[in-house]
Amino acid sequence: MNAIEIRGLKKSYRVYQKKEGLWASLTGLFQREYRDVEAVRGIDLDVEQGEFVAFLGPNGAGKTTTLKLLSGVISPSGGQARVLGHVPWQRENEYRRRFALVMGQKNQLWWDLPAQESFRLHQKIYRIDTDQFQRTLDELVDMLDVRHVLKQPVRELSLGERMKMELTAALLHSPEVLFLDEPTIGLDVIAQHNVQKFLKHYQEKRKITILLTSHYMKDIAALCRRVVIIAHGDIMYDGSLAGIVDRFSGHKVLSLQFADGRMPSDLARYGEVLEVVEPKARLKVDRSSIAKVLSSVLANHTIEDVSVEDPPLEDVIAEMFALSAEDDQTAPNNSPVPSPQP
Amino acid sequence: MPHHPSYLGVFLTFARNSLIRDMMFRANFIIEAISSVSWMAMNLGFYAIVYQKTDHIAGWGRYEFFVFIATTMLINSIVQTFFMPNAQELSELVRTGGLDFALLKPIDTQFLVSLHRVNWASLGNFVVALALLGYSVPRVEGFEFSPWQLVLYPVYVILGVFILYSVMIALAATSIWLGRNQSLYDFWFYITNFSRYPMEIYQGPWGTPLRQIFTFVIPILVVINVPARIMAWPLSADQAPLAVFAVLATAMSLLGSRWVFKKALWSYRSASS
Repeated sequence: MNAIEIRGLKKSYRVYQKKEGLWASLTGLFQREYRDVEAVRGIDLDVEQGEFVAFLGPNGAGKTTTLKLLSGVISPSGGQARVLGHVPWQRENEYRRRFALVMGQKNQLWWDLPAQESFRLHQKIYRIDTDQFQRTLDELVDMLDVRHVLKQPVRELSLGERMKMELTAALLHSPEVLFLDEPTIGLDVIAQHNVQKFLKHYQEKRKITILLTSHYMKDIAALCRRVVIIAHGDIMYDGSLAGIVDRFSGHKVLSLQFADGRMPSDLARYGEVLEVVEPKARLKVDRSSIAKVLSSVLANHTIEDVSVEDPPLEDVIAEMFALSAEDDQTAPNNSPVPSPQP
Repeated sequence: MPHHPSYLGVFLTFARNSLIRDMMFRANFIIEAISSVSWMAMNLGFYAIVYQKTDHIAGWGRYEFFVFIATTMLINSIVQTFFMPNAQELSELVRTGGLDFALLKPIDTQFLVSLHRVNWASLGNFVVALALLGYSVPRVEGFEFSPWQLVLYPVYVILGVFILYSVMIALAATSIWLGRNQSLYDFWFYITNFSRYPMEIYQGPWGTPLRQIFTFVIPILVVINVPARIMAWPLSADQAPLAVFAVLATAMSLLGSRWVFKKALWSYRSASS
């Protein structure tokens, strides 16, 4: 059964074009120029109940906008979506009791109070009965290992602890669908790993449907079997993480180590030279001709070591984003590569 | 699990959390309470001086007018305690995208946005206002007590609070339309300034239209005038039409502000991630 059904979902914004300088600002008071930015351009997507799906894409690709549409925070300019049978932007309480949204860059807990006071508020808002609330809370704080900071004001928590508290708050009412917008942003490697481990465990146990956006390939590799790549408001790929390389990369990386430092000077005839550190070299070779190239190299040179690998996933995706940016110069925030890894 | 949130339970938790927070910043709490009480005392002092020069302002004698001031303080302190910090914060919520979280909750968004903070320090004025009321009422010339006053006065104080709240939330909600940092909220202070004086002073070629606008269009003149008259003047049938109108005006204001708020939410764009 589908938990999420999206058909032709569109969202465009009118953005005021502010010009530089004081005079332009003053004339802008009377005459304004607007530009339409298409954040989401008619996407179709089905997500089954219990799936853990990753949204991958550069900044400004429309990932967060899609999550906000599915949470009913904003309403679309066109198209349809149903989550658990509800139209999100109708904002029915019945729907709002059944999902949660966690945003890595925003904080919903009372800043000056210990997180447990915010949890108690959630208990009242979602009307969770006391026993159940206590049970869920105990389970979550133990899994996330935050019991010792429950009584500390949120503003005194580390970023990692705060994120765990945000997750706890979001899961107290046992949502069936969870939207996660960059839940590990800014976290150190250990905190990232902890959050990933928790999400994986929680999802497997509860079989809830999760839609996650992230810049970090590691999050996605650790958590999601299915990846949806979105760039400039369109879905470019929907499938397994490994499938991305098969589909979007037409080449392999051939690494060679030549015997006795006898490195040929005309390496370029085999393929694009990526790196030469004698006696080793790395070449980019067309997938279709890899067998021919390899046998020719082995026949003509004395080789000590050889390997044929797929290009790194990050590179493939960066290349893909760059291509889509070239295709589409009008789209906002044309940043062709995802944020650097921490 | 029952499907409706317990609004009272949620409100009490807001009130409790706000109190815990206020107690954490104790010095700030005390300073705020003292400064708002002194502001009121200065106001009162000013009118005490005025009444040394005259016996009546537009038909209101000294102690009658003190009842009027006490009513103003009472209503304003309730508005400042429960609604003002929230209306002020609304444009900030819009700017930062914090409104997103309010929209996710299975509870009325206007309720959540209007009441999530309680500014307990403003209740200092409430106590002072009650004391002033207790002092002035028996001193009003020809005062006759009627038990009806004890029933009607609190009711009309609450209706007055609702009218001020409606104007406030409708103006604050415009920040959802206008976007970042822009709001008509400040107008609330300009407009409600007019409510702080007895209706009778609005006379003549400028006064009459003002009185009509602020009674029938934006009904802020009934906010204080109606309860103050109930307490300061003998109850009479002459007051009935305005009192009935005040009930209607409150209902219309609440409905109107609800409409504006809902309309505004519909066009919410949310801040960037």
